[in-house]
Amino acid sequence: MFLAMKELMRNKMRFFMIVIIFVLVSWLVLILSGLGNGLSTLAAATFKNMKADYVVFEQGSQSSMSKSLMSDQLVAEVKQLPNVEDASPMGNTMATALKGNSTKNEDKVDIAIIGIDPGSFLEPAVVEGKGLSADNLNGIIANATMKDDGFKLGDTFQLDGTNESLTIIGFVENQTYNHVAAVFAPMAEWRKITFSAPGSDKGIENPVNAIMLQGKDIDPSVINAKLSNTDTVTRAAAVKGMPGFKEENASITMMLAFLLTISAFVLGVFFYVVTMQKTNQFGIMKAIGAKNGFLGRAIISQVLVLSVMSIAAGILLTYGTAAVIPKAIPFKLDSSLVINYSIVLLIIAMLSSLVSVRKMTKIDPLKALGRVE
Amino acid sequence: MSRGLQISGVSKHFSEGSNRVSALEQVSITVEPGEFVAVVGPSGSGKSTFLSIAGALLRASEGEVRINGQDISKLSARELSNVRLQEIGFIMQSSNLVPYLNVLDQLLVVKRMSGKVRAEDKAFAIKLLEGLGLGAKLKGFPEELSGGEKQRTAIARALMNNPNVILADEPTASLDTKRAHEVVSLIAHEVKSRQKAAVMVTHDERMLAYCDKVYRMEDGKLSLALSDAVHAPMTAKAGH
Repeated sequence: MFLAMKELMRNKMRFFMIVIIFVLVSWLVLILSGLGNGLSTLAAATFKNMKADYVVFEQGSQSSMSKSLMSDQLVAEVKQLPNVEDASPMGNTMATALKGNSTKNEDKVDIAIIGIDPGSFLEPAVVEGKGLSADNLNGIIANATMKDDGFKLGDTFQLDGTNESLTIIGFVENQTYNHVAAVFAPMAEWRKITFSAPGSDKGIENPVNAIMLQGKDIDPSVINAKLSNTDTVTRAAAVKGMPGFKEENASITMMLAFLLTISAFVLGVFFYVVTMQKTNQFGIMKAIGAKNGFLGRAIISQVLVLSVMSIAAGILLTYGTAAVIPKAIPFKLDSSLVINYSIVLLIIAMLSSLVSVRKMTKIDPLKALGRVE
Repeated sequence: MSRGLQISGVSKHFSEGSNRVSALEQVSITVEPGEFVAVVGPSGSGKSTFLSIAGALLRASEGEVRINGQDISKLSARELSNVRLQEIGFIMQSSNLVPYLNVLDQLLVVKRMSGKVRAEDKAFAIKLLEGLGLGAKLKGFPEELSGGEKQRTAIARALMNNPNVILADEPTASLDTKRAHEVVSLIAHEVKSRQKAAVMVTHDERMLAYCDKVYRMEDGKLSLALSDAVHAPMTAKAGH
């Protein structure tokens, strides 16, 4: 630490340049992770926030709500199965909300209608207004982002292409599905909207898209065996089954993986070059008795100090970015995500410094003195 | 067991292609504590190889090197670096200071290498530097020092761990006559007053007056050229 700090203080400019590179790298990594998180939240927040452990789909539906259709009767049956604490049906339809009879672009808003049983464990807590009621089928609770589109509590809007009108009786937060605001409606109302065309319910009585289960110890294979024509998966698998979710995440993950790999090389090369420049000094210190451990610790502690400073600056910049980034960009910082990526960056920096340590151990004090005959 | 530096029958061979080149052949020398010995000779004669072997930087092909009674020819690399740290003080050609450490830290880093720096180590370092006329330059960085000041810092650094053996490699190479005399007389003074066994490799004939014995290295063979004969002028010139 002694050597490391003395050198940092003496050569501020040189190390400042390394810090700038490192800050930019960590900033970019954190922003990208925030964007990835924002995108996946936008795509599946409703699913992710649901207090459900497993999801029952129709067999052959590839864990996708839009490909699955079952009868409501199964809910009562699945509740009887071992380890199932509770079960509740769910349906989903994409729709467009029309503000009044306007034909202006900004007055058409895409929404995802989520059909649930009022009062079930699937119903999120409202932050404004009141919850769903079985007596008021047209009363819905909507994600608070709809306020940005000009909707207020008590507003009634029409669904484009239908005769159905819905009234906002409550607002919830962080409920997005398939990249648009989620609107929770009573199951019966959802069915009316979704299966208005004759035959679209495939003749199933009281159809639902999926049944959400509560119960940590549920064995999916038992459920599949007991209920014919079903496919039970974990909630995480159901999230991945959403159209486009895997693909979207894979793109972000690949960018992050490349970025981290590149940063490992960039930082490694930087530290290596700095070490190479110091070949002579390391040689002198070895000649007067410094051991590899002493000099290795100096290198590693220097990289540690630089990394912590850079990552901290990167985190600050990222939170600064989060504060000014336009709302339209799906950006969501998650402190556990920030901590995880910071640790990953730190580990990468430390690993890349090991190359320099290895180089240092190979320095021959005799050669450094330039006096070999 | 005797103190100081004893080298007996040391040879060093290098392989150069299929040829075997002898850098040193059966070199023997004993340097007692308080004795200041010069080794002179043309470049390529093996002086530096000799100094590297005496300084535990290079292993002899055969023969024995004893520093303060300890045979170092069989030690591991790690043990050798301990010998260099504890038993040997190196004074190298100028500009071999660590560029980002100030004069005081140049000395303290030597203590750091073996553990913690205690208050008395710091006091000792300051006393050493003051004794060498660097009291006003404790916080100076190498780039702010003159050639003579750098070499005096290097002398202080070599003495920091209170080693038994002092090895100086061309300490006057980049100094003018006045500074060169100043530096070598300081080395001689420290060697005498602290009872170190000291070897200086040089081809600066002007500096031999400060030495007790002068050895000549030629084609890897070491021979005594001058003995106490030079002692008188040295004491006269050093004049402390």
